[in-house]
Amino acid sequence: MKPYAGLMLQDAYAWLRRHPRVADAVLGVVLLAASAGQLRISPLSAALAATVVNVLLAASVAVRRREPVLAFAVGASIGLAQAYFGFQPAAGAPVRALQPTVTDLAIVVLLYTLAARRPRRVSALGLAICLAGAGIAIARWAPVHRADGAGLALIAGAGLGGVLLTAWVLGDAAAYRRAYYVSLEDRLAVAERARELQERRARAVDDSAARLRRIERDLHDGAQVRLAALAMTLGEIKENMEQSNGSDDHTLTLVGAAHRSAKDALAELRDLARGIHPPVLDRGLPAALAVLASASAIPARYTAEITERPSPAIEAMAYFCAAELLANATKHSGARRVTIGVREQGPGLVMTVTDDGDGGARLVPGGGLAGLLERVQTVDGRLDVDSPCGGPTTIAVELPRHA
Amino acid sequence: MARATDTAPERLRIVIAEDAAIMRDGLTQTLTRRGHEVVAAVADAESLLQAVEEHRPDVAIIDVRMPPTHTDEGLRAARSIHAGHPGVGVLVFSQYVETRAAAELFATAPAGVGYLLKDRVADVSDFIDAIAQVARGGTVLDPEVVRQLLTVGRRADTLAALTPREREVLSLIAQGRTNAAIAGTLFISGKVVEKHVANIFDKLGLAPSDNDNRRVIAALKYLES
Repeated sequence: MKPYAGLMLQDAYAWLRRHPRVADAVLGVVLLAASAGQLRISPLSAALAATVVNVLLAASVAVRRREPVLAFAVGASIGLAQAYFGFQPAAGAPVRALQPTVTDLAIVVLLYTLAARRPRRVSALGLAICLAGAGIAIARWAPVHRADGAGLALIAGAGLGGVLLTAWVLGDAAAYRRAYYVSLEDRLAVAERARELQERRARAVDDSAARLRRIERDLHDGAQVRLAALAMTLGEIKENMEQSNGSDDHTLTLVGAAHRSAKDALAELRDLARGIHPPVLDRGLPAALAVLASASAIPARYTAEITERPSPAIEAMAYFCAAELLANATKHSGARRVTIGVREQGPGLVMTVTDDGDGGARLVPGGGLAGLLERVQTVDGRLDVDSPCGGPTTIAVELPRHA
Repeated sequence: MARATDTAPERLRIVIAEDAAIMRDGLTQTLTRRGHEVVAAVADAESLLQAVEEHRPDVAIIDVRMPPTHTDEGLRAARSIHAGHPGVGVLVFSQYVETRAAAELFATAPAGVGYLLKDRVADVSDFIDAIAQVARGGTVLDPEVVRQLLTVGRRADTLAALTPREREVLSLIAQGRTNAAIAGTLFISGKVVEKHVANIFDKLGLAPSDNDNRRVIAALKYLES
């Protein structure tokens, strides 16, 4: 492929971006080289001294990124010394080693670096020093051109000040941009973390729902079956003893008690298992809510408009909320009719329980409704209570489709 | 529990479908000891359907929750047995009872059907009577279902019109008992029972019928409507 100039330039730029220190060193060398002609002065000692000054300026450019303040301090000191001693119209000959050269452009670069890499108060101080230096230089230099000193000084001042101000503004803008990127990255990290926590929470919620379901099934397949078999055996023993003559009455009483205990334990275990995970939930939320409505002590109507099944944990949460709200309506509202409705809304679902009772239901800390709210909040759900005195009461539970 | 008053010593051919081995074996032994023949004892709905096809038993005792999903396999199997073999009685028994499931079952299978809580196996004779009743084409409904139906408020207005005694009678009707059995249970005469029944159907707006099963179904359907 034929090398394309633009592409090569792009490559070079990319390379320089990857090697900033080399780029700075190159910049320093270029500045130094540009001022080479101005360093050929006599005597030799003055030339050597001027070279040392210029090399120092170039070197400060080379280290500007690592040590912006030190580099600027060196550059600014040299600049101030040059401004003061480089022009001596009154005293005659200036200090030749301190006459300004092209390398002084380094000071502009250093001011830019300071503004880009250090807080604004530091870089503003740097700008002030630079402007002061420019002022000194112009004040020292202007009298030489006495003819129209004021106009020239104005032009020089505007030029120098403009260049310095531009460097500072560019640097400051770079600093702002960098800070913005950093904050953006922080925000991205926070968002990423939030997403991670959300996923972890969803897993925890789903896990616990699955575990409860497993416990219920274990009870169903294990303890409940064994207990039922035991009760059946005890029942048979009891009947056999009742039928055979000459049975020990005392033993019969004991067997009867054991039989009753086994039956009571079965009933208790059944209630416990149902509280852990109502088996009807396995047939879906609409079926479970229909059963709930059909078993309600006050007449309950029920409507469901759900096309996609929510996750089991959400189904269980909706079911227990409905059960609690139904029980509340039964106990406190004096309602004659209750309506349970579930429908899809946006990415989640909304369940409403409405009764025609006395109203006045409130979310109070430690109350039943507050407990429900806490429960639904674990999955970013909401609970709204609309219950004016005199009724009717509508409680809406919003849940996501997945934890 | 529906106790048949006219129990005849008959030898029933029974299929058991129950995924818990301990319950399956226990039932098999108990029924065998009581003189019945367990022709097959299986652990899932598919094997149940095969066993019914093969043995044509008098009655199938079916657990609601069986593999693979452990939800309502037994109920669905019961319905399909009733559709394919109306002569085979189905007794569904479950760890939990649901009025809805009962209503669905009785709606599709109006005769030779039973729905009992698993706990009822503890009262062995009653349980075996229930099996016999279902085998004869009778109806058995768990008292717990009846209790739920009568306590829920869906038809509170209508049921409020019944006297406590009539509620008691309705509950016994829903359990599939004959008028004679109800009379025996409540220590009242058959004539009084008939009067109660007539009043109940009158108040519920149902035409009286001589058929026990249809009385149950009518009551259930009405309560579940």
